[in-house]
Amino acid sequence: MAYYINAAAASGELQTGINELIPAPDLRRRMSRVVKAGVAAAMECVAKMPEGEEISAIITATGLGCLADSEKFLRNIIENDERLLNPTPFIQSTFNTVGAQVALLTGNHGYNMTYSHGGQGFESAMLDAMIRIDENGAKNVLVGAFDERTPTLRRIMERTKVRKYAPQTETGESEEAYFFIISAEPRENCLGELVSLEFPQAGMTETEALSAHGLDVETAVVIRNDQAAGCFSCTASAQAFMQGLGKLGGAVRNVVIHNRYTGGMSTLITLKCL
Amino acid sequence: MRIAITGAGIICAAGNGTEQTLESIRLLRSGVGKVTLFPTEHDVPVCEVKYSNHALKRLLKIPAGQHVSRTALLGMVAARQALDDAQGGRTGENSGEAGEWRGGSGRSGRNNGNGSAGGNGLRTGLISATSVGGMDLTEDFYREFLACDSGGRLRDVVGHACGDSTEKIAACCGIDGFTSTISTACSSAANAIILGAQLIRRGILDRVIAGGTDALCRFTLNGFKSLMILDGEHCRPFDDSRAGLNLGEGAGYVVLQRDDTLDREPYCYLTGYANANDAFHQTASSENGEGAYLAMREALEKSGLEPREIDYINAHGTGTSNNDASEAAAIVRLFGSGTPRFSSTKPFTGHTLAAAGGIEAVLAVLAVAKGIIYPNLNFKTPMRGTGPVPETAYREGEKIGNVLSNSFGFGGNNSTLIFSAR
Repeated sequence: MAYYINAAAASGELQTGINELIPAPDLRRRMSRVVKAGVAAAMECVAKMPEGEEISAIITATGLGCLADSEKFLRNIIENDERLLNPTPFIQSTFNTVGAQVALLTGNHGYNMTYSHGGQGFESAMLDAMIRIDENGAKNVLVGAFDERTPTLRRIMERTKVRKYAPQTETGESEEAYFFIISAEPRENCLGELVSLEFPQAGMTETEALSAHGLDVETAVVIRNDQAAGCFSCTASAQAFMQGLGKLGGAVRNVVIHNRYTGGMSTLITLKCL
Repeated sequence: MRIAITGAGIICAAGNGTEQTLESIRLLRSGVGKVTLFPTEHDVPVCEVKYSNHALKRLLKIPAGQHVSRTALLGMVAARQALDDAQGGRTGENSGEAGEWRGGSGRSGRNNGNGSAGGNGLRTGLISATSVGGMDLTEDFYREFLACDSGGRLRDVVGHACGDSTEKIAACCGIDGFTSTISTACSSAANAIILGAQLIRRGILDRVIAGGTDALCRFTLNGFKSLMILDGEHCRPFDDSRAGLNLGEGAGYVVLQRDDTLDREPYCYLTGYANANDAFHQTASSENGEGAYLAMREALEKSGLEPREIDYINAHGTGTSNNDASEAAAIVRLFGSGTPRFSSTKPFTGHTLAAAGGIEAVLAVLAVAKGIIYPNLNFKTPMRGTGPVPETAYREGEKIGNVLSNSFGFGGNNSTLIFSAR
C-alpha cells in the first residue's frame, strides 16, 4: 500500500484567515489558543480537499493536551474553593477537543482518535492513519499534532533543568499545530509519498531505513529530530515531518526522519518524491 | 487471523481482581461511598478503589517513598493481573495479587525475568488509556506553586503527562515492545483495545495488553460537578428518575493475542470493534444517538454477526438524562423489537472515565466466558416513552455467545466492542 500526503498546514503559517477557517465568532472566542491553532490548521487541510471528497478519519496527537485550560480550571478550583465553577475550561481541557471540534465543524461521523504519548503520539497517529487506509478502506485521513506552552510549563521546565526549553514569546505562551491529509491516491499538488514508518526495537540506521524500501541513499536528506539533546517539544516529530515534505523535490528524492527520544523508542519515517 | 482474549485484570470500587469484583456484583454490593481520598466541598457519592496509595504501593511492592500517581498505580495493578492471567496458571478468576515491582521510572529499568512479558518469543505491547494522567499529584503541586512559583515538589508534577502513566505500567509489566497512550475522554480504553487489535492484525505485535486507568481527583470531580451531571444519590442508569452519574476510579485491561500463538483455551475472541463520531455537541449526545448507532452497526458488520446474535449488551449507561436516552434510542433503532438483554454496571463501579471501556471489557469477557448477565442496580421505572427495560438480576451459566460493550465520551467519541465465544 502507498500513502500520499496531499495537503499540509502549520498553525504558524496559515494561508487562510482564521475567521474564514473557523467562521463562528462565539466558537472562536470560546476556544483556547491551542484549540484554535489545531482546529485552524486542520480546517486549512480540509479546505484543500477537492470538491466531493470527504475525510474518512480524524486522528490527532498531543503531548500535554490543552494545558492552559487545564491550568485555568485547576486555578478556579483552588481560588473559588470548588464553588460556582465555569465548566468551559474543563470541557476544553479534554485531550480530544481539537479532533471533536473538527468533527463538529465538518459534520464528520467517521473514526475519531486522539493519542497522548509524550513526543511520540504523532507516530502513533500516523501509524493509525496507515491502518485506516490499509484495513478500513479509508481514502483520506486527517492527521495532526498540537501542543502549547504556558508560563507555568516554562517555569517548571526551568526548575527541572532537565531539558532546554523552546524559544519563548514575550508572554510565555505559544502553541503549534501541524496537520496533514494522508490519502490512498495521489492528487494534483501531492506533496510526497509516505513510504514507511518504523519502530525498530533492535535499532536501525537511517541508511537501513532507506534501503529497506529501495530508496536511494545518495539523493536522500536526513532529518534528525533529537529529543534527547534538543529542545523539549511534543510537536517536534510533526514539525520534522513538515520539514521533510518541504525538502522533497529537485535533487532531493527521498527523506528519512529519525526521531530519537529520551529512554523511549526511536522511530524512522521515510518519504519520497512522486 | 483472530484476536483471542487470554488475560483480564481489574481494580475498581467493586473489588481488586476479577474474583472479588464478580463476587460484589453477584451479591449486588456496590462500591459507592463518600469521598475519602481528598478533602472536598462536594458531598456526592463516588466509587473509590478501597486501597490508599500506600496500600497500592504495598500491593505492587513499590517503595513507599517513590512518587507515582494513583492513575499509574491503579494501571500497574490491573495490567499486571491481566498479564499474569495470560501467562500464569489461570483458574478462571484472579485474586488481585500482583507480582513484585521491578521497574524503575524508565525503560532501562525493565526486567525480562519471571513474571514479565519477555522471554516467550511473543512481541508484546501495551496500549493504555487515561484522561487525567498524573493530575492527582499535579493538584498537590499546583496549590503550592500558585502561592509561590518556586513552591510545589517537582516530583509531584513530572508524571503529569498521560504517556507517563503508560511508561510506568510498561516498566512494571516488563514490556519492551510498542507502547502508546490514548485519550479520547470516556471512550479511551475501548479505543485502546481497538488499536491493540489492529496492531496484531497488521503483524506489528503478537500480544497486547490494552485498557485504561483513571484515578479519582478533584479536577474531574469539580469538572463534572460544574457540568451539573453528578447525581447526589446513588446513580440509576436507564431509570426514569435518573439524575446523573457517580464518578468512580480504577483500571481494567485485557490481553489480546494472535490466535495462532495460543497454548490454551482463551476466554473468548474480540470479533467486532468500531469507532464513530456523533458530531453533535462537545459534551452532549444527539437525541437519536447517531454516533452510538453507527459504532454499534459498524462493529456488528465487522464481526459478521446479525443483530439477533447479540445475547447481552453492557451499556455505557452513565445515569445522566442525556446519555441513557440517547443510548437507548440508538439500541432500539438498531435492534428494534429484538433488543437483547442489557444493563449498565456503573452503579457498581461508578463512571471510571478513561478506564470505563477497560473495566467493562473485562466484565464483557467474563460474561462470555461464564455466561453472566449483570444486573442494572437501582433500576425501577422505565424511561418515559418506550424506554427499554434493563436486566436487574445477576445470572450465571446462561448461554452467551456474543456480548456487545459500549463506551462513549465527550467530543462525540463513540466506540463499540464485540466479544464472542467463538
